[in-house]
Amino acid sequence: MGKKRIGLIAGVMLAVMLVLGACSSDSSGEGSDDNTIKVWTMSKALKGFVKDYEKESGVKVDVQVIPWENAHDKLLTAVASGKGPDVLQIGTTWVAEFAEAGTFLDLSDHIKDYDNLSPDNFYDSAIETTQYKDQTIGIPWYVDTRLLYYRKDILGEVGYPNGPETWDDMIDASEKLAARGDGQYALDMPATDPQFPFMLAWQQGWDYDIDKGAENFKEPSFKEAVKLHHLYYKEGYSQTGEGKEFFQSFSDGSKPMFFSGPWDIKTLKDRAPEIDGKWDVHVMPKAENNKSMIGGAHLAVFNNSDKVDKSLDFINWMADPETQVEWFKTNSELPANKASWDDPALADDPKVSTFGEQLESTQALPLIPEYERLGQELLKTLEQINRGGADVDKAIKDYQSKAEKILN
Amino acid sequence: MHKLSSRMTPLLFIGPAVLLLLVFSILPIFIALGISFTDMNLMGLANWSQVNFTGFENYLALIKDKSFLQAIGNTFFYVIIGVPLAVISSFLIALFLNFVSNWLSTTFRIIYYMPSITNIVAIAVVWGFLYNKEYGLLNYLLSLLHMDAVPWLDDPFIAKISLIILAVWKSNGVSMLIFLAALQSIPNTQYEAADIDGANRWQKLRYITIPSMSFATFFVTVTTLIGWLQFFEEPLVMTDGGPLNGTNSMALFIYQEGFQSNQFGYGAAASFILFAFVITATLIQFKLRKSD
Repeated sequence: MGKKRIGLIAGVMLAVMLVLGACSSDSSGEGSDDNTIKVWTMSKALKGFVKDYEKESGVKVDVQVIPWENAHDKLLTAVASGKGPDVLQIGTTWVAEFAEAGTFLDLSDHIKDYDNLSPDNFYDSAIETTQYKDQTIGIPWYVDTRLLYYRKDILGEVGYPNGPETWDDMIDASEKLAARGDGQYALDMPATDPQFPFMLAWQQGWDYDIDKGAENFKEPSFKEAVKLHHLYYKEGYSQTGEGKEFFQSFSDGSKPMFFSGPWDIKTLKDRAPEIDGKWDVHVMPKAENNKSMIGGAHLAVFNNSDKVDKSLDFINWMADPETQVEWFKTNSELPANKASWDDPALADDPKVSTFGEQLESTQALPLIPEYERLGQELLKTLEQINRGGADVDKAIKDYQSKAEKILN
Repeated sequence: MHKLSSRMTPLLFIGPAVLLLLVFSILPIFIALGISFTDMNLMGLANWSQVNFTGFENYLALIKDKSFLQAIGNTFFYVIIGVPLAVISSFLIALFLNFVSNWLSTTFRIIYYMPSITNIVAIAVVWGFLYNKEYGLLNYLLSLLHMDAVPWLDDPFIAKISLIILAVWKSNGVSMLIFLAALQSIPNTQYEAADIDGANRWQKLRYITIPSMSFATFFVTVTTLIGWLQFFEEPLVMTDGGPLNGTNSMALFIYQEGFQSNQFGYGAAASFILFAFVITATLIQFKLRKSD
C-alpha cells in the first residue's frame, strides 16, 4: 500500500513537471544545427525562393512565415523572451519602436565586409529608415511607395486623360466627377491608412522635425493638409463609410481614382480584368511638391543571434541586384537596390517604372517609436472632422495635446 | 502515518489543477495589478530597468481619457440592452423547443446551437455582407418594403444595435441548452397536478415553469452579464471600435492600448477597472438572489 502511494506521488509529480517543462522549454530548437539559420518573414513566397541560396551556399535556411497581422505580437514575444530568429523582416514603420527596445544587432561595423550591403546601392530614403540613433539596424529588402491609380477613360471625359498633375487639377477633376450624379464619387480615400495623411501634409510643404515634437502639428501647412482631406468629404468627392466593394466601384467607374502601392497592379489585373488598358498610374499630385512615402521592409539580424556571419551572408545574397529582380518577378515587390531597376523586367514596364519615378521623390515617415500611435490618433482626429462634424481648428488643437501626451 | 497519507491523497489529486490555476490565472492577475502602477511599454519589456513606478497616474489618466469613458458608456449600453435580450430570447427559444415534437426540437436545437460553435471571423464575414449598406440582404429586404437603406455599421448608434443583434444571435445557443436542461428536469407530476386543478397554460408557466427555473435563470444571467461586460470579439472583427469610437468596448480598449500601442501599464490599469465592474456586478446579483 505504502509503495503504491509513493508511486502515485511520484507519478503526479512527474506529470506536473512534464506539464511545466513543456511550457518553459524552447520548442524552436535553437542551436540544434550549426548550419541552419532561422528567418522570420511575412512573405510567403520566400519559402521557395531561398532554395537557390541553399544550393549556392550549402547553408540551410529555415523560413518561418508570420502573417502581417500577427507579426507585431510575435516580435513582441521574441523581444520579451530574448528568443528570436537569426534574420527577421521588419516593416519600415516599426523600425524605431523595435530598435528602441534593442531588438536588432547594430550592423554598422559589418556592412563594409559585404559587397551588396553598402548604403550607396539603395535609395537614400530607404537607407534613412535603417538608421536609428547612429545604428544601422537593417538592410533594405524591398521598397514600397504610393501612386495615384486612375481610370484613363473617365478622367478623359473631364479633361485629364493623362491623370491630374497637381492638387488643383485633382480638385477640379473631382468636382466634375462627383457631379456625374448620385453614388458617383471621385476618389477612394484610404481611410484606414495612417501614412496617407502624412503624405498629404508633406505635399503641402510640411515636414516632421523630431526635435519639435507636437509643435510640428501647429504648422499652417499641416492644417492645409487636414483641410484638403476634409474638402473631399465635405464636397462629396469621397464616400463616408465603406460603400461598395472596392474593385467593383473602380471597375464601374463610381470611384475612378485611388492611392495605392505596387501590389494593386497585379490585383487589378486579377480582380477587374474587364477594364484592362483603361486605367493607369500617375505620380502623386503636386502641391508644394509631390512627395510620396517610402515604405517596404528591411532584413535585420536579431540582437542575440549566434550566427551573425551566416545571417549577413544570407542578407548579402538577398540584397544582390539579380536576386532583387528575381524577387520582384516572384512577389511583385519593388527592389530596394537601385541597380535592379535597369533590368528590362522593371524598366520596360511603364507602370512599374512610374513607381521608379515616384521613388525619386519620396520621404521616410518620422522615425520615432511613437509614430504608429501618432498615425492612429491622426486617423481618429480626421474621422472626428469628416464624420463627426468637429471643427477643424479645434480638432487639430485636440490632436496637438494628444500628440504631446504620446510623445512624453 | 496511514492517516496522514490518506488525508494527503485528495490534495494530490487537486494539486496539479490548483497549481496550474495559480500559475496561469491567479498569479497573472497580481502581476497585472503590479504593472498597472508602472509605465511599462515595449522598451520596459526588453529591459526591466526602464520600467518606472508611477503610482495611480494610469488610473487618473484613464478617468480623464475621453475614449475610455466612451468605451465604458458603450459597454453599459451593450449590457443594459444586450443582457435582458439575450436571456429572454434564449429562454423563449428553450420554451418553444420544449413544446414542439421531438425531431423538430432536435433540428432546431442544432440550428440555434450552430452559431455558438462557428468561428467568429467567419460570422463577421457573413454578417458584414448582411449589414452591407449597398448590397446587403437586410437593406435589400427593406427596399422591397420601400424603406430607406439603414446604415447598419456606419452610424455610431445603429452600429451598436447591429452588434447587439449579432451577439444575441451568437450567444443564444449555449444559454438555450442550459434552459432546456432545466425545463426538462421539472417533474411532470407538477403539471399533471396543475391540470387536475384546471390551470391553463399561462398559469402553469407562471406558477410552475418560471419558479422552477430560477436557478438556471440566475446562472445564465450571471454568466451572460460577465460575458457582455467583456464584450470584445464582435466589435473587434466587425467595426474595430468605429465609427467615431461608437462601438468600442472596455475590453477592446484594453486590447488596443495594451497590445496595439504597447502601453502595457495603461492597458493593465484599464483591465483592473473592468475587473472591478465585473466583480461588483456579480456581487450585486448574488445579493439580490439571497434576498429572494
